[in-house]
Amino acid sequence: MGRIVLDKVSKKFGDVEVIPPLDLTIEDGEFAVFVGPSGCGKSTLLRMIAGLEDLTSGDIEIDGENVTQVPPSKRGLAMVFQSYALYPHMSVRKNIAFPLRMEGMPQAEIDKKVEAAAESLNLNDYLERKPAALSGGQRQRVAIGRAIVRNPSGFLFDEPLSNLDAALRVGMRLEISEMHERMQTTMIYVTHDQVEAMTMADKIVVLRAGVIEQVGSPLDLYRAPRNKFVAGFIGSPKMNFIEGEEAAKHGAHTIGVRPEHIEVSASSGAWKGVVSVSEHLGSDSFFHVHDTGLAETITVRAGGEVGFRHGDTIHLTPRDDVIHKFDSSGLRFE
Amino acid sequence: MSQRTLPRLLQSPAVLLLLVWMLVPLGMTLYFSFIRYVLNSLRRPEWTSPSLSNWRGLGNYEFVLNSKDFWFAVQNSIFIVCSILFATVILGILIAVLINKTFPGQGIVRVLLISPFFVMPAVNAVLWINMILDPVLGLNGLAVGGINSLVEGLRDAPLVGWFFSMWPEFEPISFRATQTSAYAVIMMVTWQWTPFAVLIFMTSLQSEDQQQKEAAILDGASTWSQFRFLTLPHLGRPIAIVVMIQAIFHLSLYAEIEIVSRGNGNKNLPYLIGEFANNNIGAASATGIFAVILANIVAIFLLRMIGKTLME
Repeated sequence: MGRIVLDKVSKKFGDVEVIPPLDLTIEDGEFAVFVGPSGCGKSTLLRMIAGLEDLTSGDIEIDGENVTQVPPSKRGLAMVFQSYALYPHMSVRKNIAFPLRMEGMPQAEIDKKVEAAAESLNLNDYLERKPAALSGGQRQRVAIGRAIVRNPSGFLFDEPLSNLDAALRVGMRLEISEMHERMQTTMIYVTHDQVEAMTMADKIVVLRAGVIEQVGSPLDLYRAPRNKFVAGFIGSPKMNFIEGEEAAKHGAHTIGVRPEHIEVSASSGAWKGVVSVSEHLGSDSFFHVHDTGLAETITVRAGGEVGFRHGDTIHLTPRDDVIHKFDSSGLRFE
Repeated sequence: MSQRTLPRLLQSPAVLLLLVWMLVPLGMTLYFSFIRYVLNSLRRPEWTSPSLSNWRGLGNYEFVLNSKDFWFAVQNSIFIVCSILFATVILGILIAVLINKTFPGQGIVRVLLISPFFVMPAVNAVLWINMILDPVLGLNGLAVGGINSLVEGLRDAPLVGWFFSMWPEFEPISFRATQTSAYAVIMMVTWQWTPFAVLIFMTSLQSEDQQQKEAAILDGASTWSQFRFLTLPHLGRPIAIVVMIQAIFHLSLYAEIEIVSRGNGNKNLPYLIGEFANNNIGAASATGIFAVILANIVAIFLLRMIGKTLME
């Protein structure tokens, strides 16, 4: 169980309203990702759900029960922090056992649960070590283990992978996704990394300045962003926005074309420009094209074998069926 | 020259200076402790200048060990140091936790809390023994007098008068007396050194990780459990530092003992050395060697303890 409903939830720090009243429902067993640029209030929202931050107004319900006034430990949620927040003076075993010990569970039962959690996270060899003697990835696992043993109705992740190096991040991302498939528990995951959001989420919640810009599945957001902000935030590299005459041809104030939806050619095409930087990744090549007369830079993604270099003239042709049209207020229309 | 010779050569003046600084007084103390050496003797004028011909062997040590005050001074040194350590660490933790929260006027409160540490030890002793602990003119005497006159007044009160007329008249405690002078010293030094503990613990508390506390709140830890399992272990190292520094300082207390009771009922090894040094330099030196041994024993214990907390 773990259906979380936010009803007109808002938060003020002094006179500053960081989250205007906001409604959101996260279904039982769903993997929801809060994504947005830093300072958009996504962590604050997560902390409000956890109970670490008071609500200025509104209500939070978990499984139909109003928990707005319920203390954090009684909400049945477990949280994994960005800094891991392991207890430095305790061994891994004691760290994982801490929430059970606080519940007053008998020692034999605690041992059994800790062993089981350690088993599932490959931590058996490290149980007697202190957190300081572990690597970043292992610490992250201990933090997850401490969350798992409580058998919570929901997991809250606050940018858990941002302190890991790139290779480890991909690995842990997969592990968390697998954990979700296995446990089918509600998870809320906060990140500023849209790749994490796209790869892990059942439901992405895009936030800007405390306001929900769009809620939907990753592909919904990719195919039909509600406005320019979401269109620019989801997708990598970023969508190209073109204003003026070219947009007017499509009857829009602004048009958006994703880099992967542009054909390149050396000889002919709709637009012409000069390659300023070319990035070759092997599987793909990215070209940053200047002097098109459309926008300062147009980014294009092409196959790995396409070999334009700095200074080369390049012709671009957008695929007409996937051009996004935006009106003057930034909203997308068909 | 090998690679190590030059750095060692460059270090040697400083090392030599420190060595001389330490070894010369220690050597002189050792030398004096094995000879008969007094400042003034009409009967044996040859003892008034240090000379190997006045060799006494272990006689000074025997004399000190058999003197009636020695074992008392050793016990009392340890008693005073341990009592002060115990009181300052507990008070220091309590006050540091209390003022770690943000509240209006905390800047002023913190400065006031630290200020006793800047009072000179002798001044501290004079203020305490005369203004606070004096049984007639001090706060001690005034408070007891006040309670007595209050009880006196209540004896004639209706209903409760019978109860108060059973009370005896209270006597203020004289802190210059043989039985109590050690407590006076413990009180005044605790007052002076608690700020030091507060200062160190407060800095340490401010470096405590807040996310750990939040994780503990989510894990269902009560305020007491958070203190017991997070804050106290976090304070382990600063506690060890406070204990070590204070132990070294308080083993050599002198001014307070001199001012409170002139050693009446309350001596430690430095005070005993001072008493012997009025005339008998040989015995004073032997006591000094004992003091060095005691300090080393204490230091070894403390270093072990600190080493253990640093390892964890």
